[in-house]
Amino acid sequence: MKRLKDAIDGVDLNRFRIWFQLAMFVLLVYGGYLAINLGNHLPMFACGFNQEGRGGICYLMPLQHQLARPWPQLFGMASLGVLTGFGIFWLWFIFLNKGWCGYVCPLGTIQDWITALRRRLGVRYARYTQDQFRHLSRVKYVLLALMILIPLGIGGGWFSRDMGTPFCLICPARMVLPLFTGDLSHLTVDFSSKTAVAMTVLGMLITGLFLTGAFVKKRFFCFFCPMSALHYLISRPALLKLRKDGDKCTRCGDCYRACDMEIKAIADDVKNADIMADDCILCLKCVAACPEPGALKATFATITIFESTEAGFIKRCQKGIGLDQPKR
Amino acid sequence: MTNPNAKTAALPYNRSRQAREAETMLDHITDDFDDNPPSMAYFYDLFRRAYCRGESIEREGVRVGTTCIHAPEELIYAFGATPVRLCNGSYHYDQIGADFMPAKSCSLVKATLGMLSSENAIPKTGKLDLIVNPTTCDQKKKASAMMAGMGHSVYELELPPAKESEQARVYWQRSVREFAVRLRQLTGKKLTRKNLMAAMAKTSRAQVAFRTLHNFRRKAPSLILGKDVFLVTNAYFFDDIDRWTDAVERLNAELAQREKDGFCAAQKKAPRILFTGSPPVFPNLKLPLVIEQSGGVVVADETCSANRMLYDMTSVDEWLLNNMVDSLADKYLKPCTCPIFPNNDDRIRRLLDLAKSFAVDGVVYQTFAGCQVYEMEQRSVAEALNKAGIVMLAVETDYSPDDLGQLTTRIEAFLESIKTRKRKAT
Ligand code: SF4
Ligand code: SF4
Ligand code: SF4
Ligand code: SF4
Repeated sequence: MKRLKDAIDGVDLNRFRIWFQLAMFVLLVYGGYLAINLGNHLPMFACGFNQEGRGGICYLMPLQHQLARPWPQLFGMASLGVLTGFGIFWLWFIFLNKGWCGYVCPLGTIQDWITALRRRLGVRYARYTQDQFRHLSRVKYVLLALMILIPLGIGGGWFSRDMGTPFCLICPARMVLPLFTGDLSHLTVDFSSKTAVAMTVLGMLITGLFLTGAFVKKRFFCFFCPMSALHYLISRPALLKLRKDGDKCTRCGDCYRACDMEIKAIADDVKNADIMADDCILCLKCVAACPEPGALKATFATITIFESTEAGFIKRCQKGIGLDQPKR
Repeated sequence: MTNPNAKTAALPYNRSRQAREAETMLDHITDDFDDNPPSMAYFYDLFRRAYCRGESIEREGVRVGTTCIHAPEELIYAFGATPVRLCNGSYHYDQIGADFMPAKSCSLVKATLGMLSSENAIPKTGKLDLIVNPTTCDQKKKASAMMAGMGHSVYELELPPAKESEQARVYWQRSVREFAVRLRQLTGKKLTRKNLMAAMAKTSRAQVAFRTLHNFRRKAPSLILGKDVFLVTNAYFFDDIDRWTDAVERLNAELAQREKDGFCAAQKKAPRILFTGSPPVFPNLKLPLVIEQSGGVVVADETCSANRMLYDMTSVDEWLLNNMVDSLADKYLKPCTCPIFPNNDDRIRRLLDLAKSFAVDGVVYQTFAGCQVYEMEQRSVAEALNKAGIVMLAVETDYSPDDLGQLTTRIEAFLESIKTRKRKAT
């Protein structure tokens, strides 16, 4: 048992993640060809517009559809459907918590690939100042609110139906993911109405921003992702947890350095045991980068599955000191 | 080599009062205890050569003196230069340095100045091409101009006055980058990803060796005494880093064997002491020595001549030059528990954690007379420790041997009270 634990705690997390993310990407972007269908309540961006290859569908699509029903329907019989839909989504979600973002979401994985490309080219990444960070962190909640209110408004007859699934129209996944199955049809402007033109042009701009943003900034899009906001609001009962023992923390900041989401509290907060911040993607890079045994850990249903250890830290984070080193 | 003092010039160094000071200390360290680990011989010998016989341990190439652990040694190594830590522990230099500083100042700062003003400074590490003086406590800050006055070329590495905020972090990262620029001017070399990586590996190998040694000290009964470990970490100040690491690795191998054999370096019931406060620097190992001569054992420390200097390690996310330098900067600022910062919860938490994980019975807090920052933190530290049920003894001392008798009495009483408490508890 102890041997197994040591092996897991000493794992080269970055490499594990690369392969795991790749497998998940294949499953969700090409799984459809193998008749895989995980349903349409998945808690990350397995985009439904990738018609051919999708192995399951992002919950935001059915959610927006459902909310755009005419009100009498929505608040009548259909409400049951909305609630069960949400229930299924929630069940998926609590299983991995935000680990869906760090390990499964294809759009997250693509950002990590763009980051890897940048690193290969030797270009350094950009950082936000703490102030920018604080402001930007709010954007995702605004997007989430709009994503719910606009469909409701459509159902109430205030907005045009062309605004249906408003977030999908501007979501970079809608243009980027179908490309992987050779579907270029979403890279066009829809000229059917003024609203459609505006929204698809905006969507294209956002996709451009997504690609360039992800090149200069790690996980650029995830800061703004409404799915992430929705996750955080319901994350309390989740099974996978990121936990911290503040007594063991030296506040060395090693975890903060590793964090793609620039979460300062991961290093500085020594009070809260439940340390997952709203921007966190549960990539667990911080756990891997922490040199203090037991200071950070991932638990599943209160069982520790991955914990910071001195030996693991040295193996992973100290290059070229003559011990067995992870390759780059 | 002219010596202004004709009388001492007549005397060869190894018979001078200064050499005797070191020799007495070393003799106590080696002879007052049975069963010194054979691999400590490397360190005993190193100190004998450097401090008692005044042998030169000069280093090749550009030499950069540092007055504090905040100067990033990896950068210095990366430029092909060698860092030498200048913090000095000699009473002889303390007296010479008294000419520069006000009467009530810290022995360590005075001794460092005393050494820097001397012509044949001991240990003989060769002429310094640059002194990096991080702007830490007031006394060290003001020492800058004095060092410059002695003809040294001094670089003030600007440390922020507080460390928590993001501004402080960014400010410090900039300071460190500036320092790299200065080193480039000094050495004429370029900082590359490759040479910095090699330099970081050097330091990190040393740190891993230190951490292994540190972990052996958790064991009860103890495998090694604190006086030896202080000597080991003191050697890091001036020894060749790779040779030092090899020697520590040998020591570690021996401790592993000792553990297997069930060896005890101190009595089974010896009170386990955590040492904190002003740093013990050879030959001023007076206080740790007294503790162990009186039957205690120093199992851990929180001082900038040992643990604080070597414990915290760098983590780099992307091995690109900029990121590596920033990571280094972070390592030298964020985990630091130096009392110059306004808040020091980190130090208290570190002490509590050490006390717990090393099964410590009591804490000895050394303050050098004249060191205000350590003195000012004393109360809050004592309170936090007492709240956790750990006793603390605060000791104010300096480099002079005069208070030895009084120190011994106090330490003996402290250790006795711990023993009584323990007996009562069982
Ligand atoms: S466009 Fe975005 S929000 Fe809509 S289904 Fe695709 S991934 Fe989900
Ligand atoms: S936050 Fe990032 S990883 Fe998570 S669902 Fe959104 S895009 Fe995907
Ligand atoms: S890496 Fe570990 S010890 Fe360092 S700040 Fe983070 S949690 Fe604390
Ligand atoms: S806090 Fe840890 S798990 Fe969360 S995003 Fe940052 S590195 Fe990943």
